[in-house]
Amino acid sequence: MTPLSRNARLAALAAALALSAAPAHASKERFVVDLVNEPSSLDPQVQWNPDSYYVYRNIFDNLVTRDDKGEIVPQVATSWKYLSDTEIEFELRSDILFHDGSKLTAEDVAYSVKRITDPKFGSPQLGQFDKITDAVALSPTKVKLTTNGAYPALLAQLVKLSIVPKAIVEAVGKDAFNLKPVGSGPYKFEGWQRGVQVSLSRNDAYWGDKGPFPAVIFRAVPDGATRVANLQAGTSDLGVTLDSDQAGQLKSAAKAKALIGLTERVAYLRLNTTKPPFDNAKLRLAAAHAIDKEGMVDGLLGGFDKPVSQLLTPASFGWIEGMNGPGFDLAKAKALVAEAGPAAKAEIELATAPVFDQRIVQAIQQQLVDAGFTVKIAMSDMATYLKRSQAGPEATSTLSFGRWSCACQDADGVLFPLVHKSSGWSAYRNPKADGLLEEARQTLDKDKRLAAYKQVHEIIATEAPLVPLYQAAVLYGATKNLQFKPTPNESMFLNRMSWVD
Amino acid sequence: MQGFLLRRTGQALVTILGVVTLIFFVQRLTGDPTYLLVPETATKADVEALRHALGFDRPLLVQYLDFLADLARFDLGQSVVQRVPVLTIIASRLPYTLMLAAGALVVACGIGVPMGILLAVFRDRPIAKAASGIVLAAQSMPTFWSGILMILVFSVLLGWLPPSSTGDFSHLIMPSFALGLLSMATFARITRSALLDELSKDYARTARSRGVRTGRLLLRHVARNASIPLITVAALEISNLLAGAVIVETVFAWPGIGQVTVQAILARDFMIVQGVVLMGAFVTVLLNLLSDVLYSIIDPRIVLEGTR
Repeated sequence: MTPLSRNARLAALAAALALSAAPAHASKERFVVDLVNEPSSLDPQVQWNPDSYYVYRNIFDNLVTRDDKGEIVPQVATSWKYLSDTEIEFELRSDILFHDGSKLTAEDVAYSVKRITDPKFGSPQLGQFDKITDAVALSPTKVKLTTNGAYPALLAQLVKLSIVPKAIVEAVGKDAFNLKPVGSGPYKFEGWQRGVQVSLSRNDAYWGDKGPFPAVIFRAVPDGATRVANLQAGTSDLGVTLDSDQAGQLKSAAKAKALIGLTERVAYLRLNTTKPPFDNAKLRLAAAHAIDKEGMVDGLLGGFDKPVSQLLTPASFGWIEGMNGPGFDLAKAKALVAEAGPAAKAEIELATAPVFDQRIVQAIQQQLVDAGFTVKIAMSDMATYLKRSQAGPEATSTLSFGRWSCACQDADGVLFPLVHKSSGWSAYRNPKADGLLEEARQTLDKDKRLAAYKQVHEIIATEAPLVPLYQAAVLYGATKNLQFKPTPNESMFLNRMSWVD
Repeated sequence: MQGFLLRRTGQALVTILGVVTLIFFVQRLTGDPTYLLVPETATKADVEALRHALGFDRPLLVQYLDFLADLARFDLGQSVVQRVPVLTIIASRLPYTLMLAAGALVVACGIGVPMGILLAVFRDRPIAKAASGIVLAAQSMPTFWSGILMILVFSVLLGWLPPSSTGDFSHLIMPSFALGLLSMATFARITRSALLDELSKDYARTARSRGVRTGRLLLRHVARNASIPLITVAALEISNLLAGAVIVETVFAWPGIGQVTVQAILARDFMIVQGVVLMGAFVTVLLNLLSDVLYSIIDPRIVLEGTR
């Protein structure tokens, strides 16, 4: 065979293959969502990661939820009242059916709470609910929760607690339930082709707003560029976690668009106040003045994120309108560094992990160097970064970059762990701030809580143990005619989406 | 032959045990996955509670002995992230890896071997120079780039092929080419040098002087002898492909072993990593053994140790 005929054959083969290939296009009957990874588990109580809850929150209902404005509103519970500071009674809907046709009752709610709070069960979410000490069904539509002490963030936490059917979970066991979850939500679990896709179908008997798509496929597409290509080729309808360049790319796309929302996630710098140079409050302020948040957001992040001057976002309870913190002032930063003399020269280790935007980390390093500090970036894998970040002031790095979300939209889940001395994340010791945080955690009085958080914000602004940077944006890609409003808690409720023509 | 196989199997078991022991301890040197599983707001007590529930607070030696005991029962344990048996996860991914490896091998051999023949037969002529340019280009294009480029051209621009994921046969074409083109270059180079080597030998020259034509000379005389190095390379390439084509699988969202391994390493899902490494070690050892046996079948001059 001559080389020519061989080549001709190959070309013919390639052409034949190309013609026979009809790409499967997404359609209005079948809604295709590209996640980064496949869900790790669909039992809503045994995991904590976005790719899982994007899926399972459509299969299950929760006691309460947040509407598109961010307010906590009824879902399974129709109303609730505090019997005392530590007891709260929920009235439940009586018309909710699980996907197998059985009725959702107070027994299921009590069981779900007890299951996730049982330390032996080993739920990663235990810490979000371990203040609940008891759950009792008072009647088929009434359930009472008891907490150890007043717990103002309870409702905000319950937004994340899915109700599982007691009878089914007990009958099939934990592992089987994970493989074939049964909930009461707007979508039913259909199948899981491991590594490839999870399919859901619309629950036509759903008590609330029904979803617009008869069938939904969640796929794992790890590469961001591929998620964008899928949208452009029309083989997917929604893609998660794009970066600002990819979102920009979709602006000129024929079939797709970018959807942008601000989240409750706040990016911050944490300064270790027990180690030089940041044991000196003036040098902490110098660092705060050295950072140009606006410049980073506009220049590196495409302007989607939003600079903040308090360690919280407007999406969370505890945000105080009009607060100011140390702004960008390089001359002032340089002056403070010069004033401190050789104390400012101590080498600063800036801890980070690959999941964070390294352009931001490098910009921070550069800005601090410009002000006169000596900064070295210390990159480690995420597990090591997390372990070290929570190791307490003695063992943790001098400086670390992070993005914080409590998934509860409440200052208690942000300020308490990052500042209070009892938390491993805190590298700051201030009895006054600790007292205020405890006070805000132990009262149900909203005004008292806000007053306490305002003072904590002020302490952070003057002492600079942490430098708030920006409210993080979440970037999705979607087909042109999809209507979907991204929410601060990064949830993806299919029955809140719709088609526009 | 029996003695040889027996001894090699014994060696293989020791090798595999060594590999799994190494991976068991190396993974645990850097801590455990607990921190990655909990929300940021988890307190130290929460983290400890989960670590206890998962059994990572037990002494390392106890964990290791447990692991070996399970292994003896062919139980690879349960993924700490997915809470599903590792065997189920690997079994669900393996068919895709095999498919992709086969596709890539077809591309690599189907293009690489003829290309190598071309390079050897038309040595120093323009056609060979052009071919070597193609080989060089295929080898120097990184797959994360060539993969995305293919997607943009054949899916977004032309709409001929599905951009990613699995489904019918058309989904396999681009990943196979992206992966196969890299190995193609290796096959072409090995084929070329093996052929040139054989063609310069006395028997080939004698055949030529007898008037045997090039095609017949290659097919009847040289092919068999030149295939020994090819088998070695093929064995190595196959075990590489099976261990996972991480980048290609990521770019094309192909649900193979490589993708799941990277995710497991990042998530410190020890059990999955152990399972995959065990499988990789097994495949490599097996293929090496196979290629040794194949040598002796193809070339009777090669005698396996212990068979005399």
